[in-house]
Amino acid sequence: MIVLGRRIQMEQRMAVPKSAVVIVPVVSVIAALVVGGVFLALTGHPPVRTYLDLLDNGYTSFYGITDTLGLATPLICTGLAAAFAFRMNLYSIGQEGQMYLGMIGGAWAGIVLADSLPPLIAVPSVLLFGALAGAAWIAVPAFLRARLGTSEIVSTLLLNYVALNLVNYFIFGSQGFFRDPTTSFPQGRAVADSARLSPLSFFTEKSTNTYPTFFVAVLLAVMLFWFMRVSNYGYETAVYADSPNTARYAGMSSAWLQSSVLLVSGALAGVGGAMYVVGPAGKVDPGLLQVGLGYAGIVVAALARYNFLAVVLAAVLFAGLRTGGNALQVSNDPVPIAIAVVLQGAVLLFALGGELFRRNKVTLVRVQKATT
Amino acid sequence: MVTSASTQHDAGAALALAARAVTKRFPGVVANDQVNFDLARGEVHTLLGENGAGKSTLASVLCGLYRPEAGQVVRDGKEIRLNSPRDGLAHGIAMVHQHFRLVDRFTVAENVVLGHKSLSFVLATAEIEAKVAAITEEFGLPLDPRAVVGELSAGERQRVEIVKALYQGAEILLLDEPTALLAPPEVEKLFSTVRAMTHVGKSVVFVSHKLGEVVDISDRITVMRGGRVTGSVRRGEADVRRLAELMVGREINIVPRRAKSQVGDVLLSASQVHLERDGAAMLTDINLEVRGGEIVGVAGVAGNGQRDLAEVIAGLRTPQQGNVTVCGTPTAGHGARGARRAGLAYVPEDRLGTGLAPSMSIRDNLLLTRERNFLVDRKSALHEAETFIKQLEIKTPGPLTPTRKLSGGNAQKVLLARELFAVSGARVLVVCSPTRGLDVGAVETVHALLDEARDAGKAILLVSEDLDEVMTLADRVMVLYRGRITLEQSGLDTNVDRVGRAMAGIAT
Amino acid sequence: MNSNIWLLTFADAISIATTLILASLGAIITERSGVINLGVEGMLLMGAVTGFVVADSTGNLWLALLIAVLVGVVLSSIHAALTVGLRANQIVSGLAMVIFGTGLSQFIGKPIEGDPLPVVIRPLELGWLSDLPFVGPVVFGHDLFTYLTWAAAGGASFYMHRTRPGLLLRATGDAPATVDAQGGSVARIRWVHTMVGGALMTFAGAWYMFARAAAWNQAATTNGIGWIALALVVFASWRPLRAIGGAVLFGFSLQVPFTLQALQIRTLPPTIVAMFPYLITLAVLVLLSTPRARRLLGAPKMLGQPFVRDER
Repeated sequence: MIVLGRRIQMEQRMAVPKSAVVIVPVVSVIAALVVGGVFLALTGHPPVRTYLDLLDNGYTSFYGITDTLGLATPLICTGLAAAFAFRMNLYSIGQEGQMYLGMIGGAWAGIVLADSLPPLIAVPSVLLFGALAGAAWIAVPAFLRARLGTSEIVSTLLLNYVALNLVNYFIFGSQGFFRDPTTSFPQGRAVADSARLSPLSFFTEKSTNTYPTFFVAVLLAVMLFWFMRVSNYGYETAVYADSPNTARYAGMSSAWLQSSVLLVSGALAGVGGAMYVVGPAGKVDPGLLQVGLGYAGIVVAALARYNFLAVVLAAVLFAGLRTGGNALQVSNDPVPIAIAVVLQGAVLLFALGGELFRRNKVTLVRVQKATT
Repeated sequence: MVTSASTQHDAGAALALAARAVTKRFPGVVANDQVNFDLARGEVHTLLGENGAGKSTLASVLCGLYRPEAGQVVRDGKEIRLNSPRDGLAHGIAMVHQHFRLVDRFTVAENVVLGHKSLSFVLATAEIEAKVAAITEEFGLPLDPRAVVGELSAGERQRVEIVKALYQGAEILLLDEPTALLAPPEVEKLFSTVRAMTHVGKSVVFVSHKLGEVVDISDRITVMRGGRVTGSVRRGEADVRRLAELMVGREINIVPRRAKSQVGDVLLSASQVHLERDGAAMLTDINLEVRGGEIVGVAGVAGNGQRDLAEVIAGLRTPQQGNVTVCGTPTAGHGARGARRAGLAYVPEDRLGTGLAPSMSIRDNLLLTRERNFLVDRKSALHEAETFIKQLEIKTPGPLTPTRKLSGGNAQKVLLARELFAVSGARVLVVCSPTRGLDVGAVETVHALLDEARDAGKAILLVSEDLDEVMTLADRVMVLYRGRITLEQSGLDTNVDRVGRAMAGIAT
Repeated sequence: MNSNIWLLTFADAISIATTLILASLGAIITERSGVINLGVEGMLLMGAVTGFVVADSTGNLWLALLIAVLVGVVLSSIHAALTVGLRANQIVSGLAMVIFGTGLSQFIGKPIEGDPLPVVIRPLELGWLSDLPFVGPVVFGHDLFTYLTWAAAGGASFYMHRTRPGLLLRATGDAPATVDAQGGSVARIRWVHTMVGGALMTFAGAWYMFARAAAWNQAATTNGIGWIALALVVFASWRPLRAIGGAVLFGFSLQVPFTLQALQIRTLPPTIVAMFPYLITLAVLVLLSTPRARRLLGAPKMLGQPFVRDER
């Protein structure tokens, strides 16, 4: 591309300045806010005031924070799921569907198994079955990828729509197992009490939307981070992600690595869905479908550059945007929730661009004339 | 004696092409330093030199691919400015590269016309194919214009490249290492094509490091070393020995320099190995043995099954039939790990893409081929990395440097260090084209390491497309042709003729 | 009576195939240059909502379609800037476009949600041709743009396989280094074709809005058609003419649930039947993934790989 007699030239940096790791995400967010601000202004909403409201409702007020942390809980899970897969250049975008299946699987465990079990065992069982269900949902695309090389992008995506219809079927389309038998109103059957956790009150009298599952999610991120650092499995996946030929040369099984990574990814997203059952929902809840947490998880993962610890931060950031956006929607000067989604997309795009600035030194060089 | 090749032609006949005081720099190296070179009409002029001497760079400058920092390119007596290969083509100068720039999916005709400036908007396919056929006829380059390039052999693909240049009206052709992928008889065919071209007044520049081959075809040979011209001779004026000295800069002996060694038990053997891929036979009835303390060299033209052979022996592929035994343990079907456990180490041809993980550090790469437990031991690997860096003088900022930042020679040192020393208990080494693309110093280091390993009693299977390397290092020489071992002879027998013919599939 | 309904279903399938053909044509053209743009779903939605909004305020169908096309060009330029100019990961960028496009279309569409269509695209009046049995509704019962779309597919095929720029396009996707070595601009070819692809994608969405939808309702519009279009590209082996057949097949699978409902066939609940298009698409994808199939019908070799030229 030659502009005004100068060409954009990129050279790979030999050493990445440490400051760039922080600067780039920050600048991306700021740039996205600017873009969002333009849209707001164009539609008649004062940007600065709107943003301040957003901040307050998302991050600084008591209910803001707790709502944010509550929303961040499954988002951390889908973020980890996406990061885990994308690191390996496996572009599974089925977190949405795996989350629904996790909800279904967790609810099943909560209904069938939890009755006779104490909470200490019931709650983990629900989460475990959620994980298994999520893994089961990704198993077919994983198998297809390992055996036939079928693109996991489209296969996992298609299953999202199938899962969506499945949840609708269970709640709206049938009078079956997952339906609440106590009412004709279409809603999910409640799980046993022992499989539920009460919300955290943070030493106040108030009831919040944050559940202990938040800390489970954070713990999950930390454990995953540590495990991949020190284990042979983490080493092998790192080698494979870097160069599949090298992994083959070293005797690593690409089928095993690809499949296991995808299954773990599915399980992580499934846990996220199960956390809904343990926490706020207590049943299979189609209301979850509106929130689009699966896709948001991909954005979170990309912004965190697939680092598991950073996923937690990015998830909280995004959840705050959503919560704040929700509040704005019902405020005195309603702003559509879509603004939050626009911001998400914009942040991601800027982060993508920023990533390149981090890795490469971009200069404008004069177009070389031929030597005389 | 150092002469400038241009002084003999200054006045008088306009030269077809000349380079005057051309200087080309890359980060950290001066590839061409005040180089003078010229080419007469109808002449075959060879640029001879080792890897890294600057001959490919000069050719690239002459065709417009590179722009020099200083100096001029002169065509038919007039100075020209070349900003791109397109400009070169406009002046009738075309380069045929070592690595072909072809689209596999397209036909021969489509490849030939791709990028041709006067192509009509709607392709006149029949016309094009006819024209291509005419060219292939005239210059002895048998090709079917409708054939899909992806299915052609290396020699045929080279013909496509040459036809491409001729179609575009090239009067001057620069051939970069054209014989690299050809067996001796195909080389003959190429030479006759070159003669056909000079016969009609075209001029050819041969860029090569294969001394023996170019002596016959060249009207003049200009030798380069370290970015400078070191000498220039006419046909019949100098002998091979003298030219080699000009290339390398010191007295050399062409006689293979191995000392006799003690040979031990059979540590590696393959018997009746058959390997298929997608239903096609890649290796047929492979039988070989390597004893401790010897180097068995497998020569062959690229594309005859070298990689398959190495991978079957190293356990990366499982043969459909046959056995592979390492240190007494059968390993066929047990995978790469099985072979390693039995005592085999493998240095593949592709350093950064296969043998090493390019973004990972030297330390982490040392862990790659050893037995790993549930947790990885980075501490001992770090210690090891530091030791190797010191011992082998690996030039690197440190043990945590990603391997892709290392030069070819240093990356190879890391690979060899790991496979020779880090993998404890490895008594068999399979190594492929270990010195490809390396400069003279690194080549010597690698050969020394291999000799050392041999003297220490290891059994080494060397698979290389570089015949000189095989003849120099091997105690026994085999030839791989179309997936079969077609010749076996002692390494002391310096009769290259028989080997060359076997490489081309001609019965001996 | 039943056969009549199936006939209408077939005609309907062909109609809805228009969106699929247009979207997948856009994807094919883009991918043949080596760039993969997963943002189709977002582009469809943006095309639909933009078209609606413009038509709502101006009442002019053609202007609405034109603006929708321009929006497609702009959006795909962003993708091109990131992936070709800055060599970003094409997958992530495409997904970002989906999210961005989905959210933005929601944002823009909120005020007009549920409003009736200001203009519609109607089938052409072809007189006695439309009254022919079978052929009538199936072949002659469509609107102008559907016929133009078929022509476009033919035109795209001719362009790609029989013209000089088409040759360059195909070469860019398979061997950009070769194109570059000959002085061609890989970047320019990729930019242009990504933008053209984007234009087709939004146009597909706008057409859908005016020809098949009843009103703007983000959740109900398109519903995964963009992803089916991407699968269609593989089905068509990156060849425009083959996309037509696949589009009709997929279009059929999208219509069948409604037909079954109309025929009062209740053996399967509607939510289950709604899964069919996606499951069928998945099955087709699997069949096309066998090694033999991939060898014969391959993707552009360098699809998804940023092009880096060696030092000059």
